[in-house]
Amino acid sequence: MSSDFIYLDHAAATPMDSKVLTAMQPYFSELFYNPSSPYSPAISVRRDYEEAKHQLAQSIGAKQDELVMTAGATESINLAFGSIKGHVVTANIEHHAVLAAAQIRDHTLVESDARGFISAESVKLAIKPTTELVSIALANNELGTIQPLRDIAQVVKQEREARLGRGDTTPIYLHTDASQGVGQIDINVARLGVDLLTLNAAKIYGPKQVGLLWAASGVRLSPQIVGGGQESGIRSGTENVAGVIGFATALSLASEHRKYESERLTVLRDSLQSQLLAAFPEAVISGHPKHRLGGHLHISFPDLDAERIVFALENRRVLVATGSACAANFGTRSHVLTAIGLAPEVADGSLRLTLGHLSTEENTSEAARIIIEEITREYNRTTK
Amino acid sequence: MSKVYVGMSGGVDSSLTAALLLEQGYDVTGVYMKNWTQDLPGMKCPWADDLADAKRVAVQLGIDFKVFDFEAEYKHKVVDYMIDEYKAGRTPNPDIMCNQEVKFKLFLETALEDGADMIATGHYARVEGGVLKQAVDSNKDQTYFLYRVSGDALSKTLFPLGEFTKPQVREMAKERGLYTAAKKDSQGICFVGKVGIREFLSQYVEQTPGEIIDKVTGNVLGHHDGAIFYTLGQRHGLELGGGLPYYVVGKSMDKNEVYVTTDLNDGSLWREDVTLASVHFINQAPEAGEYDIRVRHRAPLVKAQVSFEGDDIKLHINNAERAVAAGQSVVMYSGDICLGGGIIV
Repeated sequence: MSSDFIYLDHAAATPMDSKVLTAMQPYFSELFYNPSSPYSPAISVRRDYEEAKHQLAQSIGAKQDELVMTAGATESINLAFGSIKGHVVTANIEHHAVLAAAQIRDHTLVESDARGFISAESVKLAIKPTTELVSIALANNELGTIQPLRDIAQVVKQEREARLGRGDTTPIYLHTDASQGVGQIDINVARLGVDLLTLNAAKIYGPKQVGLLWAASGVRLSPQIVGGGQESGIRSGTENVAGVIGFATALSLASEHRKYESERLTVLRDSLQSQLLAAFPEAVISGHPKHRLGGHLHISFPDLDAERIVFALENRRVLVATGSACAANFGTRSHVLTAIGLAPEVADGSLRLTLGHLSTEENTSEAARIIIEEITREYNRTTK
Repeated sequence: MSKVYVGMSGGVDSSLTAALLLEQGYDVTGVYMKNWTQDLPGMKCPWADDLADAKRVAVQLGIDFKVFDFEAEYKHKVVDYMIDEYKAGRTPNPDIMCNQEVKFKLFLETALEDGADMIATGHYARVEGGVLKQAVDSNKDQTYFLYRVSGDALSKTLFPLGEFTKPQVREMAKERGLYTAAKKDSQGICFVGKVGIREFLSQYVEQTPGEIIDKVTGNVLGHHDGAIFYTLGQRHGLELGGGLPYYVVGKSMDKNEVYVTTDLNDGSLWREDVTLASVHFINQAPEAGEYDIRVRHRAPLVKAQVSFEGDDIKLHINNAERAVAAGQSVVMYSGDICLGGGIIV
């Protein structure tokens, strides 16, 4: 990207790490072979592909044959949901990929609290005897709130044991979309206590349209895309070798730098947040005050029009996301902001600022200065 | 300070209009008129992008920005009108209707109610003391589309672009760094766009096969999928195979027949005597006499003798005009003043 922008939208897309690009490059050209072909150069590519999957599995404490590579997180979520038949429990603040997959099935939406937090208790209340899947994202993509997955896993485990105790064989699984949290939270599947896990390379400085679904060995997946039988028949289509190699590199880099990067981004975010709050005491911070992704700041400026601010900031070379609706879909506010009960005049003035690799102390405070100037200008204009 | 509501479509013309009025000291509010949002097969309606572009420019200029939702009225007054006219076998001009009913009526009224003193648009035309005049750029002049607007509405309207040529407008937009300075102009009827009127109408009327008949010999030359899709003077789309090109010289909506000829001099292709109904003058009706007229947008002005017969106008065009179809408008000029006009019966 052209470097004269200050990029504050890492939750939407991340620039590919140069190490990831370097790792991928040979597989676009000299190592182009189809991993299914019988001759040795292709077999060597197959080995590299398997090694990359092995590396990915290791990064999340799983086994290689438990991974299904997909074209991004949305496909991974569809595969998880497509593999169950019964009732589904998810939350009213989930990503559209999860909500849309739930809506075509018998489902219950757990309500988030005002911080975007899904309590294990509320999940427990929503589980029915026919529930086969509980799906809660590791971290909410709009607010950055980190969910108590281990507690939710306990609830699911208790339900499973209760069913076994009464001889009921209806399975129940816990799925999490960890796309948003993986750069900052440890995602060892055993420690999280989940049965299915979705990851996305594009959010961790890897390639777009590359993702995976991990499924614990007891979970039977149903193919949603059929064909040549790749990925153990669960996801047909010639392997995206370069993409998966890049994903593996990206995930090991993320794991390696997780602690340092998470702390670094938290310091930057806290400084950005306090500068904005000092200038605009009436601004509203959403998301959990404690359990929140380090680089994530969701802030609302009451009575302002967030889309105007986004355009104004772009003119000043600062790229941010609106946390709300744009004029073209007026009246359909973010379902997340509605779910957490933000008043319309607050929700409509929401920005999502997400820091990442491109963020430095210098450009973050420069961004704070510019945001303060532009918000001040908008407040002056609307009250003239 | 006069409060002006500028209709901003997301194009370069209306963007510069807002910028110029702001520089002239007006209190400017940008308004996007949400008239049409429907996609067509092969064409995604660009309204959401256009709205975003209009808003971006408003933010650049630091002016207020609003969206007026006229979808229901636009469908009723402009789109339904157009479809009904085609069904009746005529060739309507929806842009003229849009100006008459939406931009210089509904938009004006809504803006005034909302606190505006005046409205402005990016049309290439001039208003002086309630009189409509041709734009300085005769290549872009849009008065043909404005002849049914009332003098009263025009007295509350500003057309700052009427003084400039299109290249100047582009240049001035660029100088000011407007977001839309290099944006491509839209083509054709806004809601039909590049897909064409035929594809648009196909969404609303059934295709009914009928015969294409040679006007001279009476022979059936081929088949069409509905007389509604054919317009006087049309050459393309007849698919009659090789040889000399055929032109549409008439049609019967009742029999669903289209009449064609290869004779370029056929009488029905050329008309010198024309009757206009639904006559509208912007100010008072002029005296009978010789005037400049044009039978379509951007057509050169030609001389015609104008007389009045009841509510209608009788036109005798000095040199017969080609392909003058019922439903089309003829607009009258005196020098650079656009007087008004009527619809060909």
